[in-house]
Order: sequence, then C-alpha cells, then structure tokens
Amino acid sequence: MLTPNTPHSDRLQTRIDAYLMRLRRSLGELPPEEVADILQEIRGHILERAEAAGEMTDERLVAILQALGRPEDIAPLYQAEALMARARTSYSPTLLLRGALRWAMLSVRGFAIFLAGLVGYGIALGFLVGGFGKIVAPRQIGAWWTPGSFSIGTTTNPAAHDVLGWWLVPVGLAVGAIGLVATTWLLRWALGFAKLRRAIPARVT
Amino acid sequence: MQRMATDGSENWESQVRKGWLELAILASLWSEKLYGLDILRRLEAGSDLVVAEGTIYPILNRLKRDGLIDSKWVESEGGHPRKYYWLTAAGRRRTLSMARHASLFLGRIQELLAPLLSEEE
Repeated sequence: MLTPNTPHSDRLQTRIDAYLMRLRRSLGELPPEEVADILQEIRGHILERAEAAGEMTDERLVAILQALGRPEDIAPLYQAEALMARARTSYSPTLLLRGALRWAMLSVRGFAIFLAGLVGYGIALGFLVGGFGKIVAPRQIGAWWTPGSFSIGTTTNPAAHDVLGWWLVPVGLAVGAIGLVATTWLLRWALGFAKLRRAIPARVT
Repeated sequence: MQRMATDGSENWESQVRKGWLELAILASLWSEKLYGLDILRRLEAGSDLVVAEGTIYPILNRLKRDGLIDSKWVESEGGHPRKYYWLTAAGRRRTLSMARHASLFLGRIQELLAPLLSEEE
C-alpha cells in the first residue's frame, strides 16, 4: 500500500510523479484539459496496480511502470490521432499544415497534400501582402509584368510594367482572401481521407 | 529483405496482436461498463493480446473520438476516480460486424492451417 507512513512511500511517490511528468512532457501538443484527463487515468492505473500488489516495493513499482510501457512510446499514440482529429475540423492554417505534415511523413498522397497546402497559402499570402503593400508603398510595390514573367512585390527591372496599378489593392486582397479560404477548405477536405495507422496484415475490417 | 527473415516473426506477432486488440477491447465492453484496468484484466485472462499495458488507453481515447464508446469519471472507494467506458449504439453495431468478420476469418485460417499442423504432429 502507498500509505503516507511507509518509509518508502515518498520515494515511490516521486518515482510515479517522475513517470507522469515524462508522459506530460511527451504529450506536449495536446490541449491541457485532455492532458490532465490522460494523466489522471494513468495515475489511477498505477495506484490501483500498486494497491493490488500488497506491500509496495521499488521492484514492484518498477514492474508496474515497465508493464505500462515507456511514456515516450505511449504519448505519440495519443498525439497522431488527436492532432489529425483537431486539424480536420479546424480553420487554423498552422494546425491544418501540421496535420498534413504528419500525414506527409506516412504517405506520398499526404506529401502531395502538404505541398499543395504550402503553395496555396504561399500564393494567397503573396497577393495579400501585395494588396496591403500597394497602400503603404504605392511606387515600389506593384504587379510587374516583363515579357515572360510576372511577379508581385518590388522590382529592379526598369522594363517592368505595372499592369494593375491601384487595382492591385482590391485584386490582391480579394484573390488573397479567396486563396486562403480555398486552401483551408482543400486541406480540411483532404485530411478527411488521411489514414495514420499503418496497414496491419491481420486487420479484419 | 534479409532483416525481415531474421527478426520478422516477432514483428509479425506484434502486428497481429495490435490488429486484434481493438476488437478485443470493444468485445470486453459488450455486456457491462468497465474502466481501463478492468478491461486489461479481462484481456489478460482471455488472451495475451496486450504487450504494453499503456497502449490500451490511447486506443480507448480514439474509440471515444470515433463515437464507438463513451466514458465518465466515477469516484471509487480507493480514493482515486476511475474512468468508466461503455459502448454507444454505433459501437455495438460496429463490434457485432467486426466480430462476425473476425469469426468467419478465423474459421477460414484454421481450415487452411489444419493440414499443416496435423502433419507436424
């Protein structure tokens, strides 16, 4: 029993806390209330196993923690699924891209989606910055056309022609906003198909 | 490829275990509400499916997120609360369909393995 009076109990308690602290650290990216819930459940598991073991010794506690597994091995099992579940219903570009990146590490399709998300947000950001920039620095910022190339931003090429002029403000802001929304919806839609668990030969579904 | 031949069998066994664990957890909840350690004890008694005990908690977490099970914290006499799980209606349907597939599948595998195993004796 882990009663406060036994001579070992402090050291055993410290050991349990150390295990839970390692788990907490590994669970880093989950929402705090979910982390608290997980830690409470695992703590309950350890304490109840300890109570069932009768007189508690270092060896018995070590055996209980060993049977449970390393915190660093358990935590990712929570995270991969949780991150993806949150990303699927999120509107946050960073969360969506992180979900896609997790998927990208497992499959070619995931990598393609991650790349599409990166390019989509990149283009949208370019238009938005161009639109705002034209208001701040109308002479330097423009939508520059030189035969064979098009760019938004500043230019050093004297032959470049500012094709949009002041129109860059509404066009940049509108195209940028549409790009943001479209990329967000594309990622949300695509992440719905993500399978994070690797195929298991004997899976019967 | 050579590596697969040397340590492949251990890996195969753990993959098989993982594949069955989800169904075993759902099946253990078929007739009553249980908390994590309850489920583990039941699995230990009926099989050697669980390698690291801590892995069942993330699985329960995911099954809940998928809407197959639900959970509630309940105070216990021991002083620390227990998180009880039970099957939702969707979970019962899913468990039953998984059980049917599994049983059919096991029957076929057994048929396939029977001649080979009897020859060995």
